[in-house]
Amino acid sequence: MVVGSEVPNLLEAEAGATLVVSQDVDIAVPVGAHALVKERLSALQGLRPSPEEPSVWVPAEPALLEVNFVGMPPPGSDLERTYLVEDGALPLLVFGPLALLRPGPLVRAEGVDVPVPRLAGLVLEKLLTDRTGEKGSRDLLVVLALLMVARETDLEEATESYLTLPDELRHAARANLTILSLIEPHDGMPDPRPQRARVAALLRRFEGGEESA
Amino acid sequence: MSERLRRRAAQVEGRLAVRAWKFRQRHHAGGVWFALRRVLADAAEAWIIPEEQAAVLVGEGVRPEAVGAALEPPRVILFVPRERLERIAGRRGVALHLSPELLAAKALALVRFD
Repeated sequence: MVVGSEVPNLLEAEAGATLVVSQDVDIAVPVGAHALVKERLSALQGLRPSPEEPSVWVPAEPALLEVNFVGMPPPGSDLERTYLVEDGALPLLVFGPLALLRPGPLVRAEGVDVPVPRLAGLVLEKLLTDRTGEKGSRDLLVVLALLMVARETDLEEATESYLTLPDELRHAARANLTILSLIEPHDGMPDPRPQRARVAALLRRFEGGEESA
Repeated sequence: MSERLRRRAAQVEGRLAVRAWKFRQRHHAGGVWFALRRVLADAAEAWIIPEEQAAVLVGEGVRPEAVGAALEPPRVILFVPRERLERIAGRRGVALHLSPELLAAKALALVRFD
């Protein structure tokens, strides 16, 4: 499943790819499917594993993006547990918040059916992946790009999932939304300034859900 | 093997510890930043206003946001209706980022999203 900054591009009408200039493509590998994915790696064309880090596949030609394989724990796993699956061919760093992802409808892009997660889970996952600096800002602007293509049902689903989180994670999600609301523009990412009302609306929706729960 | 991934996993663990600290701090001094950002998130516009104008607004019954008093030195942060804002003399618009200009303002008038 594609899980990174390419997702909002894929979810745009006809996979328009105008929202985010991605630096790489993140592929989530379910921990239980690790062996199956490894078997298929030899079919990849135009990419080769990085000698320093075999979970990263680097392009052999400039038209392609780097691919990062990350481990996705099963649904219901501890969202705060990050661990390493050691493997000579495909080691995986397994990120707890990826357990929030559920498969969404396939997206047809240039003749290929691309598996992507449901938008709601990816919004929450990005709000909980607590990176800092430029990477952190880009993660939050990916949330913004997702909100720009979200439907009402996606926001309802995100709120329902949010309400199932422990207090600390709900606070972290809201804290990151407040950071997103004040973030400055970044090259290659959607301009947050005209979209601040969307962020405020999601904050109020999350808080309203807590008050009525 | 996978030394780089091991380092990344350790970095993630470190950030989680900081996050847990921030959560414990949410009702104390460290929580002020979240409270300030939360108030600003609801604002469509921010204006730096003269302190005496802020006092007039408070006199009219506009309630200052609690987070302003939690800052040192204290600030007066007020949500005002747009039509009232337009009658505040000496107001100056400021971008909604945590900039030195915004943070140095002693009195801020905010306008909510419609």
